Amino acid sequence: MAGKKSSRESDERLDLLGHEIIRASASNEEEAERASASPFLYTRLRSRIAAEIERREEGERWFTILKVVWRAVPAMALVAILAITLFLSTTFSSRTSNGFSDEALLGERGTEVESVVFADTRNISNDDVLATVINEDDQEASR
Amino acid sequence: MDETADKTGYATLEESAQTSVEQSDTELVTKASRGDESAFEELFNRHRRRVALIASRFFRRPEQIEEIVQESFTKAYFALGDFSNQQETSFASWLARISFNTCYDELRRLKRRPESSMSEVSEEEASWLKEQLRVEGAAGNIESAVVARDLASKLLSRLSPEDRLVLIMLDVEGLSVSEIAGLTGWSISKVKVRAHRARASLRRVLDRFL
Repeated sequence: MAGKKSSRESDERLDLLGHEIIRASASNEEEAERASASPFLYTRLRSRIAAEIERREEGERWFTILKVVWRAVPAMALVAILAITLFLSTTFSSRTSNGFSDEALLGERGTEVESVVFADTRNISNDDVLATVINEDDQEASR
Repeated sequence: MDETADKTGYATLEESAQTSVEQSDTELVTKASRGDESAFEELFNRHRRRVALIASRFFRRPEQIEEIVQESFTKAYFALGDFSNQQETSFASWLARISFNTCYDELRRLKRRPESSMSEVSEEEASWLKEQLRVEGAAGNIESAVVARDLASKLLSRLSPEDRLVLIMLDVEGLSVSEIAGLTGWSISKVKVRAHRARASLRRVLDRFL
């Protein structure tokens, strides 16, 4: 009990001493007065503010560039995706149409066979035409 | 006629001079935030002593105090718009909050720097400290002692920035817990706990040398 009491008294004395020490450390009125009356203090403050404004503007400029880039990235990605899609679809559709063409069936190098085939099917001579017309006339006459 | 005009002109000048003298801080802030440099200079001249006094609670060298004054006013300059939006506090208390926070930031910065190591308390200072504690009522005269301020700085440098801030606000500035909470942005319970811990820390520091 007595020990507790003496400990509390000791704490109180330490607190009091601590309080006075803090007050002693903080009593710098003369220095405060000297610092606040320092010449060109406002001029130095203005130059500091000007430097800070410049620094912030520089930061903002970089931020603006980054923002533009950040906005441009999705747009550019979209354009790239569209371009790739268009390219792929064009390639695919051209391949598909080639698959059903005569060229694909016959092959690009088999030009002789092709010409023969077309020669058989397409080249109708004038005699053939004339014979057909005559045949038709005969048929009508016989009726 | 001319005389009347002169008189009227003089009266107008006098009135405008009087109005400029009587301009409140809030009016000056409004003008300064619109880019009026003379209004900001007027605010600076009105409040620089107070800011320097706050800085001197934490720092001893005049160049450190000047640094805090400049930093506080620079922060205030860029936050003038914030002050205009919250009209419930006075400019002085708003600026005091900025100054205390600037001091706190500087204390933390100094604590982080390895070169700002704590200087040791000499044998002589330790015995002087013991004497102060032993002699009843001697603590009250500590301020008059030559060694007191050096020793106080050495001892307080052993405390954390938070402890130092709270103790100075309580013991030197005489602020209440709620005022400290308002200035620091901490909750009232946090200020109470911090104050309790700060006193215990200071007791431990003192006990080490006694």
